[in-house]
Amino acid sequence: MNGHPLLEARGVTVRFGGLTAVDNVSAAFAPGELVGIIGPNGAGKTTFFNALSGVVEPTSGELFAGGSRLTGAKPHRFAQQGIARTFQTPRVFAELSVAANIDFGLQFAGRQRSGSWLLKDEASILNLIGLAAQASLPAAAITPSQQRLLEIGMALATRPKLLLLDEVAAGLTESEIEAMAQLIRRLRDDLDLTVIWIEHAVTTLLRHVERVLVLHQGRKIADGTPAEVVRNAEVVEAYLGDEMVEAA
Amino acid sequence: MNTKRDLLVLFALAGWALAVPHYGSEFAISMALTCLMYVALSSSWSLFCGTTRYLSLATSAFFGIGAYTSALLLESQGWWVAIALGALIAAAVAVVMGAAVLHLRGTYFAVLTFGMTELIRHAITYWEKQVTGTVGRVLVVVPERDTVYLTVLALAVLAILVSILVRRSRFGLAMQGIGADEQRAQTLGVNTRLVKIGGFAMTAAFAGAVGAAMSVRWTYIDPATVFNPFIGFQTVLIALIGGVATLWGPLIAAVVFSLLAETLRLQLPQLYMMALGLLLILSVLYLPGGLASLRRETFTMWRDDIRGWWRELRRDKTKKEAAA
Repeated sequence: MNGHPLLEARGVTVRFGGLTAVDNVSAAFAPGELVGIIGPNGAGKTTFFNALSGVVEPTSGELFAGGSRLTGAKPHRFAQQGIARTFQTPRVFAELSVAANIDFGLQFAGRQRSGSWLLKDEASILNLIGLAAQASLPAAAITPSQQRLLEIGMALATRPKLLLLDEVAAGLTESEIEAMAQLIRRLRDDLDLTVIWIEHAVTTLLRHVERVLVLHQGRKIADGTPAEVVRNAEVVEAYLGDEMVEAA
Repeated sequence: MNTKRDLLVLFALAGWALAVPHYGSEFAISMALTCLMYVALSSSWSLFCGTTRYLSLATSAFFGIGAYTSALLLESQGWWVAIALGALIAAAVAVVMGAAVLHLRGTYFAVLTFGMTELIRHAITYWEKQVTGTVGRVLVVVPERDTVYLTVLALAVLAILVSILVRRSRFGLAMQGIGADEQRAQTLGVNTRLVKIGGFAMTAAFAGAVGAAMSVRWTYIDPATVFNPFIGFQTVLIALIGGVATLWGPLIAAVVFSLLAETLRLQLPQLYMMALGLLLILSVLYLPGGLASLRRETFTMWRDDIRGWWRELRRDKTKKEAAA
């Protein structure tokens, strides 16, 4: 990795007209980290993700992946650099089969890398996310929580180095959330992936990640271990309640 | 998707079409030629526009460019050179046009491609008037009828053959991804801009080649004839009615259209246009997958729909009577 962080944002700002969605955020992500991003509604979490994956171009600031500059590049360049993402509402190819949805990533960004043996082919990825039984069903026919898993599978098929997960646990039941958290841990531990995970359910997130970024009104107000962050006065004031201190 | 079956069907149809000039009447051959022209145009149109859902109305621009290319070249160059250059120049224009408008979607893209078609037509009219001092071209060197027929047949076969191959390729998959969710495809590593421009140029190359081959049917061409927007509209209509996402839809609809066109247009031109419009409305409303998606189940579904509707109507009537 020649000393460069896997992904680095320097002073990233995204403005939509008069609204500053992301305000001068800098952050670096090292290989193998499991990082959470939290913040109240409208804090700019998803917009920050969109900038990190090339979906929106930052108004100012720079993005680097493994030392090469990606500022202003199209999303496919980010994917080629090993940055994969999921979307908040699953965006699976509804008419294609579950297996074909996985195959898509393997055919494009995933083609240039060999990746872990767990990402060897369609079947191994389907096993990893637990959708082997649904392989031949059209993606529109599986349940919403299965679509969420498929969304992760599609991203994994690009054989990434870094995975951006946008609220993958939203709307899941308690036990499904736990299973999802286990899967995410496994992706990090077994695949050596760097995972950046946005979640609205702060309690769940804090239990599983090692580092948290807190965004508030587009600015980064804290960056540290869950224990540090929940004690941060600014964070507590911005939106966390006492319950979070207990959770950590 | 059964590639072997598709190839067999294609070769059987091509063999049959190959025999038409030997036994068919002059009328039948002319009808078959029109039919083949629209098979080539609509199949190649669906190949890009159907899968990516970028509705292009520029077919007549590429057709006209091809026609003009061969009209200018046939006096000095061979037949195949004229066809190849017609395709090449149309594709080159498509690359420029695509680079300018392919970031737009939906109506904006459709309207702009149409606008650019008109622009090209008027630019050529102006150039003809101002620079060369003519309003059209008379084609003096014209190849034999069979040569034209076989060329258009070859282009139609090639269009379907390319469709079969592209459907199985990464390029086809990328276009399918663009049609389903362009941004998602991008985040999975598809260079969407490159794929779109490539696909658009490929469609244009076919339209250019067909235009180059068909121009000799008219002994005199002018911008109004070869850039006739109706050629583009009809291509789109045929593809939509046949089924843009299907391999055989455009072919099926092209056959239906040519039959309709040749039987109705001469005697009842208004009726022909009305039939076109009606067919489009019906297919959009009741058969969104196009003619090629017709199955026995479709008919049973319609029958059940109509029965249900009839029952409801009767129930409403009895209720009203009871209330009165």
